[in-house]
Amino acid sequence: MFEPATEAKLADHCTLCVHRRGILTGQAGQYNHYVWDKSIPNVELSPLCSPNFRPGPPGEQAQVLSQNMDDLLKTSGCINFEDLCICPGKLSWVLHISLVCLDYDGNIMDACVLALVAALKNTCLPAVTVDEETGDIKTDPTTHTPLSVACCPVSTSFIVFDNNILLVDPTNEEEKLATGAVTVVAEGSNLVSIYKPGGTPLRDDQIEDCIDRALERSLEAARLIDDTLCSIDR
Amino acid sequence: MAGMELLSDQGFRIDGRKPNELRRIRFKKGVFRQADGSAYLEQGNTKVLAAVYGPHEIRGSRSKALHDKLLINCQYSMATFSTQDRKRRPRGDRKAQEMTSHLKQTFDAVVLTELYPKVQLDIFVEVLQSDGGNYCASVNAATLALMDAGIPMKDYVIACSGSHLRDTPIVDMNNLEESSGGAEVVMAVLPRCEQIVFLEMNSRLHEDHLSGVMDHVMVGCKDIFNVLNQQVQDELCQKTQLDKLVTTG
Repeated sequence: MFEPATEAKLADHCTLCVHRRGILTGQAGQYNHYVWDKSIPNVELSPLCSPNFRPGPPGEQAQVLSQNMDDLLKTSGCINFEDLCICPGKLSWVLHISLVCLDYDGNIMDACVLALVAALKNTCLPAVTVDEETGDIKTDPTTHTPLSVACCPVSTSFIVFDNNILLVDPTNEEEKLATGAVTVVAEGSNLVSIYKPGGTPLRDDQIEDCIDRALERSLEAARLIDDTLCSIDR
Repeated sequence: MAGMELLSDQGFRIDGRKPNELRRIRFKKGVFRQADGSAYLEQGNTKVLAAVYGPHEIRGSRSKALHDKLLINCQYSMATFSTQDRKRRPRGDRKAQEMTSHLKQTFDAVVLTELYPKVQLDIFVEVLQSDGGNYCASVNAATLALMDAGIPMKDYVIACSGSHLRDTPIVDMNNLEESSGGAEVVMAVLPRCEQIVFLEMNSRLHEDHLSGVMDHVMVGCKDIFNVLNQQVQDELCQKTQLDKLVTTG
């Protein structure tokens, strides 16, 4: 009943990521807006995880994070959306991805990306048979084909402190005192995204330093995810 | 008719339990750093997280402050992945609001609110996986979280559900048994003084059967209390390195 779920813990920060699958009827194989809705990530920052968050509709941070996760999924190429297609032009899977933050201690982006990738690697889709004449859709819960995840993007966040010191993997306290921030998402030796939302201006070599460290970390984190997933029985 | 599948002739329930047998309970206190008190509880397949923040200054409108008591603010939410079909609204739907108000009423009666006038206490409960007994697991988890936060209470608050199937009272129902349409009695009690804090019964139940079911649920609550208390005391003894704690009855 508990669909593929992973919990990513970065020190005191804990995020849970769970997938739900649904079947969506519609166009496939076309790069239009509708097809892009095949995965719907949603980040929840509830008052449970920190006193900073108020009850009510998702705040700015949660919405920005959800959008970041969405962009990441679509542009990193870790899932091939063609794989989610069951019947071209008629039926395809939709992945509902819920990222729930349980304990907030800064650097939520890294935790979310880790949890997301690990949960995707843990996902299995049952076989679907469609009766051509009646249009009946039957899912066979006993057969499971794992979702093919081509790559493992890993995010590394840095904050700039005092205008010239770079700290990697900041805690909540450090984030509050930061004068700037940089986030690099890397996969193997490829860069997926770089995000520097204002803050202290940085020199070229500082950004390159961040990128190098992010590339190193992405290899370690990818290995950690693979080792963990191998050790569970499916 | 439903009773025939839910309780077999040999007296076993659909998941193999006997009628008065509880589901496996596992819990851990102090799982979060941010919250003042937190707990994670599993009752069978129902998994619940509770976090307590406070007592702290009233957030929002000062007019809500109670001049002589603690204001308890509860929020009950079910994760979108907690049920078989994806839940569209984690909080704010009627069921969640009903649960929220039940939790608030339960804890208003048990927490020593006179000790903290004009301040607020937040209790957040998140259901990660729902397999029946959501209210019960929420109350039990919230009790543990309140203990972890050091909030003074009259006693543990333990909740359990029960029903009447084929002339047999059963306790601690799972989702299948709850949705079968039979009567459901939910009680939250103070186990040591055997006092009922919250009682709810829905669907039809013959008055002759009610006291039997309530007695069984009370016993179920005391059993849950024993399980929780045993582990809590063991952990405390370990932390304080005492051989045993002084118990006052």
